[in-house]
Amino acid sequence: MNIHDVAIHEEAAQRIDRILVQFLGESGAMDALLIDRSGQLLARGGSARSLDTVSLSALAAGAFSSTAAMARLLGEPEFTVLFHQGIKENIHVAAVDDQAILLAVFDHRTTVGMVRLFAKEAAAAIGTVLAEARTRPARVGALATPLADDETGPMFKERT
Amino acid sequence: MSIINYAKKEISFKIVYYGAGVVGKTVNLQYIHHSLPDDNRGNLISLATGDERTLFFDFLPVTTLSVRNFVAKFQLYTVPGQVYYNMTRKLVLRGVDGIVFVADSQWDRLQENIESFRNLEENLREYDYDLDALPYVIQYNKRDLPNVAPVEYLEFLLNRRPRRVPYFEAVAVDGKGVFDTLNTVSRMVLVNGFAQEQGASR
Repeated sequence: MNIHDVAIHEEAAQRIDRILVQFLGESGAMDALLIDRSGQLLARGGSARSLDTVSLSALAAGAFSSTAAMARLLGEPEFTVLFHQGIKENIHVAAVDDQAILLAVFDHRTTVGMVRLFAKEAAAAIGTVLAEARTRPARVGALATPLADDETGPMFKERT
Repeated sequence: MSIINYAKKEISFKIVYYGAGVVGKTVNLQYIHHSLPDDNRGNLISLATGDERTLFFDFLPVTTLSVRNFVAKFQLYTVPGQVYYNMTRKLVLRGVDGIVFVADSQWDRLQENIESFRNLEENLREYDYDLDALPYVIQYNKRDLPNVAPVEYLEFLLNRRPRRVPYFEAVAVDGKGVFDTLNTVSRMVLVNGFAQEQGASR
C-alpha cells in the first residue's frame, strides 16, 4: 500500500527551520509554511503573529492540488507556482517535491519576483532534507512500540 | 499517511468522511465543531455552493489527549457527495489515514450508497491505497426517518468484505452516534500511528 508516513526528526526540523529563516530574510516575505500535500502543516517560519496556519495549510494544499488537476487537463504535469494577489498581502505557493509545497505570505515590502526566486532555492534545499528524512525509520522512541488498549481513554468528549 | 513531528511532539492524521450526496457528512462535522470544547478544535471551514452543498470539502482540525507525550491531532474532511464532483473527491483522499463511510439509511438511497462505496474503492485504488488495509468505519445515518432499511440489510449491502468493520447507527442532526463514530475511527487511526505488533497488518 502506497502510504508513506512523514517523520520530521529533530535534526531535520532544525535544518528546515534554518532554511525557512534564510528564505524569509532573503525574500522579504513575512511568513513561510511548509505543507504536506495532504494538507497538513510540516513547519512554520516567520513572524509570531496569530495566523490560522492549520486552515491555511489545508486550503493551500487543496488549491494547489486542484490547479495541478487543471494543469493535467492541459497536458502539463503541474503548475509549479501559485500566486494570489491581495490588497495588502499576497500568497505565493511553490512545489517542493511530489509530497510538499512551500507557502509564503508577503506584502508591499518585497515583490513576487523576489519571493519566487528565493522560494525556488528554499524549495530545493528543503526537498533534500525531506528526501533524507524519508530514508530514516518513521517510528522511533515513544512510537516504536505498539499502543496498548489501556493507553487511551475515549478520544473525544462532548462539551457538557 | 501520518505526519510525525518529533521536534514538536505531535502526530497528525487525516480522516475523510465519505459518502453520497446529502447523507449527512457535513452535519457530522458541524455537530463535532459545536460540541467539542474550544481547546480541542479549530475553525470549521466549508467550501460550499450557495445552496450549502459541499463544493470541494469541509475541514475541521481537532486535537485530543496526549499519548506518550505526543499530542494527537486529527484533520477531519468531508468530500462533495454529488457524482459529478469526483475529481475533487479524489483530491481530498490524498494522504488519508482513516475513513468514515456515511450511508443514508433510507430505502430509496440504498443504490446511491452502494455506488458511492464503489467509487471510494476506485478512487483509493488510483492512489494505490487499499481499503482493506485502511482503518474505516461505517455510519448508518438518518435512523430517525420512517422509511429506513433494517441495519442488518445495510450491513449485508455495505459491510461484507473479509474484514467486517465497526458500524454505528446515527441521527447526526441530533448528534446521536456522531461521537461514537469519531472516537472509534480516530482510535483505529491512532493505533496505526505507532509501531505494529510483529505480523500484524496495518
